[in-house]
Amino acid sequence: MSGLRIAVPKGAIFDDALAALAEAGLPVEVLRDNGRRLFYRTEETEFIVSRPSDVPVFVEHGAADVGIVGKDVLEEQRPNVMELMDLGTGACRMILAAPGEEAEEVRRAVSHAEVVRVATKFPNTARRYFESLGRQVEIIELHGSVELAPLVGLSDCIVDLAATGSTLRENDLVVLDEISFSTARLIANRGAYRLNHSEVAALARAMQGCQRG
Amino acid sequence: METPRKFTTTPGTRDVLPPESTRLLDVQAKILERFRMHGFREVITPSLEYSEVVEEPKMRDASFKLFDPDNQMLLLRPEMTTPIARLVAQRLSNSPPPHKLSYSLPVYRRASVGRGQSAEFHQAGVEVVGSRSPGEDAGTIALLVDTLESVGLRDFVVVLGQTAFYEGYLKRVAPEAAPELLAALAAKDLVRVDEISETLPAGARGVREIARLVGAAKDGSILEAATGYAEGEAAGALNNLEEILAHLDACGRLGSVMLDLGLIGRHNYYTGAVYEVYAAGLGFTVANGGRYDNLLRRFGEALPATGFAISLERLLSVLPHEAPSPVLVLIGDTVEATRIAGDLRSSDVPVLHLAEDLTPEAAARYAKSVDASWVCYPAPDGLKLARPDGEFVLVAADEVARRVLG
Repeated sequence: MSGLRIAVPKGAIFDDALAALAEAGLPVEVLRDNGRRLFYRTEETEFIVSRPSDVPVFVEHGAADVGIVGKDVLEEQRPNVMELMDLGTGACRMILAAPGEEAEEVRRAVSHAEVVRVATKFPNTARRYFESLGRQVEIIELHGSVELAPLVGLSDCIVDLAATGSTLRENDLVVLDEISFSTARLIANRGAYRLNHSEVAALARAMQGCQRG
Repeated sequence: METPRKFTTTPGTRDVLPPESTRLLDVQAKILERFRMHGFREVITPSLEYSEVVEEPKMRDASFKLFDPDNQMLLLRPEMTTPIARLVAQRLSNSPPPHKLSYSLPVYRRASVGRGQSAEFHQAGVEVVGSRSPGEDAGTIALLVDTLESVGLRDFVVVLGQTAFYEGYLKRVAPEAAPELLAALAAKDLVRVDEISETLPAGARGVREIARLVGAAKDGSILEAATGYAEGEAAGALNNLEEILAHLDACGRLGSVMLDLGLIGRHNYYTGAVYEVYAAGLGFTVANGGRYDNLLRRFGEALPATGFAISLERLLSVLPHEAPSPVLVLIGDTVEATRIAGDLRSSDVPVLHLAEDLTPEAAARYAKSVDASWVCYPAPDGLKLARPDGEFVLVAADEVARRVLG
């Protein structure tokens, strides 16, 4: 595992990612200091910490050799990277949801092929989902607090990630459909996968071993 | 009064100025010279093609499209392999194959902006059309390695796979799952490959394992492991790969090759050997190639073919910068200065003659702006020569050539 630069996502998956890397024997303690540093260099490994949606960008360009990121981000961006492993952690669902009182109306509108307005952080995922239903929608792209949109009339419904579902419940949103399931994945730059193959394979094996064990 | 419009280049495109333009043209010239050395002959196809020429949906989606006066949809070529396939079928059917053709031309893609390429970039490559021989596959790979080394690339690897090996194995062991598995591998989704392999019977271990066979070509263990899965068509494909490696070994190129039996290239495109070149310091491929025996039948000539394309801008981004060739700026608006400029050029000194009257300071600034390494003024008994911002020394005309050219 020496000589690799690993991109770790801030936010929901951060702790699970660190745990997986730690179990695989990597010196992640340095990342737990909760500081504002984004680039950490230990004796053998380098770590960078970035927003989840940026992890594939660093990896695709080779600025990081490997990275940990949710399948939802990979589905949305479709980066040109190797997807090596399912870490099994960070489980969440991509869902279609609407406010409780409007849920039936939205369901009816969609089934009647009416154009509904969807707020989402995942415009490509949302578009593909509705296309698979043969439906056209108006997509409003937001970057956070997507649950707010239908509550203030910005959209009829949302396509968003839900883990426990508590945020949805707290905002009186009801799940209309489950679009996909997402877990954390290990990805690698295509060049690093081959040029550093023994290190990348060793990392994947070590992380896999911890999963099974 | 109207404000004048500010012109910019369209998104994803840019003007290329010296020294970048000089480096691009120099590298291009060296590459074409290597191609000629291996007997390839250059072709130039039109930038515009009928849209039907490009069939692959992803490639077509990525193309700039326009309409001709007859309302036919045209596109700016997104790559060179299909135009050359069209050219061979249309123009070379009376010549004996194999046709060994080369090119270095700009290609155009809409979607690559922001992913490491501009909308317009240069590809230099070759195609061998009309031979199935593994000797030709090896020959193109060897040419690729030779070319990259000759332009100064040092730290790179050719990752080589064999599409027909995995396909042959799947045909025998898991034919129903084959389309989904091949789509997953083409998308580099090893997780999906593993997921599917778990639903298959125990005898289909290779579905998962073949994709893990990655290692140096010189290391026999990869091929040894692969032999365990080589039955039926897969055996023939593995033999083909071994022959290619034997040819590469014979010309001393095996050291640059890594095997990756999980590399199958673009979905439904390559039919045999497939390869990608990665250089240290760049996360994207510098060159791609492989055998694509099914392409030309669309154009009426079912000829086998193999070839590669080098992406020149990406190559330049990992090449060491060479020192620019020396240029001398000669200042003077006299007839004498014009004569001197001509004389110096006859002695092979590159001269930029400014038929103006400039102070040494202005001359130095100008020389630096054009990357010129020398400034020169005619004098009554010789030439005054200096580095920009340096001290002038009086030298004889023939001494100037010696000093500038080194």
